Amino acid sequence: MEEESNPVYKNQAYGKYRELLYSYGSDGKFEKKVGYHDEADRVTLQQAWDLFNDRIEAARQKVKAGEASPILYYMEKTLVTPMDLSMHAGIMVWRVKRHLKPKVFNRLSEKTLKKYTEAFNITLDQLKNID
Amino acid sequence: MEKDNIMIDYKHRQAGHCESGATSNLFNFYGVEMSEPMAFGIGNGLFFSYLPFLKLQYAPMMSFRNLPNVVFHRSMKYLGVDATVIKKFKDPKESMAALDRNLEKGIPTGMQVGVFNLTFFPPEYRMHYNMHNLVAFGKEGDDYWVSDTVMELPQKISSEDLQRVRWAKGAFAPKGKMYWINTMNKDMDIRSAVEKAIKKTVYEMAKVPFPLNGVKGIHWLARDLKKWPKKHGNETASFYLGQIIRMSEDFGTGGAGFRFIYGAFLKETGEKFNNPDLLAASSLMGNAANHWREFTYLSARNCKNRSKPEEDYGKLSDMLHEIADMEKEVYAKLDKIKI
Repeated sequence: MEEESNPVYKNQAYGKYRELLYSYGSDGKFEKKVGYHDEADRVTLQQAWDLFNDRIEAARQKVKAGEASPILYYMEKTLVTPMDLSMHAGIMVWRVKRHLKPKVFNRLSEKTLKKYTEAFNITLDQLKNID
Repeated sequence: MEKDNIMIDYKHRQAGHCESGATSNLFNFYGVEMSEPMAFGIGNGLFFSYLPFLKLQYAPMMSFRNLPNVVFHRSMKYLGVDATVIKKFKDPKESMAALDRNLEKGIPTGMQVGVFNLTFFPPEYRMHYNMHNLVAFGKEGDDYWVSDTVMELPQKISSEDLQRVRWAKGAFAPKGKMYWINTMNKDMDIRSAVEKAIKKTVYEMAKVPFPLNGVKGIHWLARDLKKWPKKHGNETASFYLGQIIRMSEDFGTGGAGFRFIYGAFLKETGEKFNNPDLLAASSLMGNAANHWREFTYLSARNCKNRSKPEEDYGKLSDMLHEIADMEKEVYAKLDKIKI
């Protein structure tokens, strides 16, 4: 429990909100306090986001190089695996995996693309041209 | 008749855990003073399960709490309160219409939602976690006022966004689940409710014959933890270790994977019924919770500089075994208790 937010986070938007945390003191009392997380929690959370951001960046490079379809990029961006995406979009896993290839992606029907745009909550234009 | 502006006089209080916070706030709305630990304890919130075959955000899944809606459902059942739970709707529009009808009647309504698309949620916690709870208590034009007990203040959310989070997909999909209290039971038997709840928690944590649950699950996790560096390499092992910390400390647990809240519950009941055994159990639980905290610190240091993995992971594993034994002692004590 700390009073001030700490600059461990690389993203400025992080670490802004205060949480209610309990503690147990040596006097045998349970106390609640509103404050920011300790450094221990922040380090691991930043570690997780580092990993996610690396994956997103790697996916972006791959898509730009034409080795993968934009679905891979948005999949990593929304932090899901093909299995999750299959549940979100209502498309079978093996098909989702196949759609990660640019060649297959380019032949996809409007209907299938719409399922993906709904799952990612983006427009069709955004799906076709990644930022 | 459709009313545009509805505001129910519902008091938002911040809490450590979303569902027990919502439950305790609902009790307060109907005039029964109930603290968050009390709701958490009576609702059997405490749990542990380790599910290495399921992955949450690329790391093994573990849970320090019970399944969604258990806290609300069980506390209503044990206290004999008349409440309604609609498990799922067929149609998203129908689920929103049902919410509107409730608000018009002046009933604050709890809902299960997914976190990922929740607009006001802190961005660092936006992960695919579908077991979050919030209570809607007002409507203003197209926006809803919701009380999310993880946040400090009540929040506003547009109906489109609310519908999206209520229909979040994936594991444990909420499917528009909502719940509310119909009439409050005037003479509640808290003593018997606490007795039943403690019995059930002891059963779930120490007696269920399944090796990945409760105390046995903690032992299993400790054994696995030792093998991670060799099996997955240092980077991944450290990321997995981080997952334990993230699940136990972040995601609104009130610290140490709800162990502090449960300790506070035991303390409160012990003082209420003048029971020294409960007080003793509460101090044991407090110590176990402090050990969880210590484990978190050491693991985080390990995540930070990753020096000698074999030695560190061995030590952490021993520590986790120790914690499991400490918790076992608490449940053994609670098992024999007479309230």
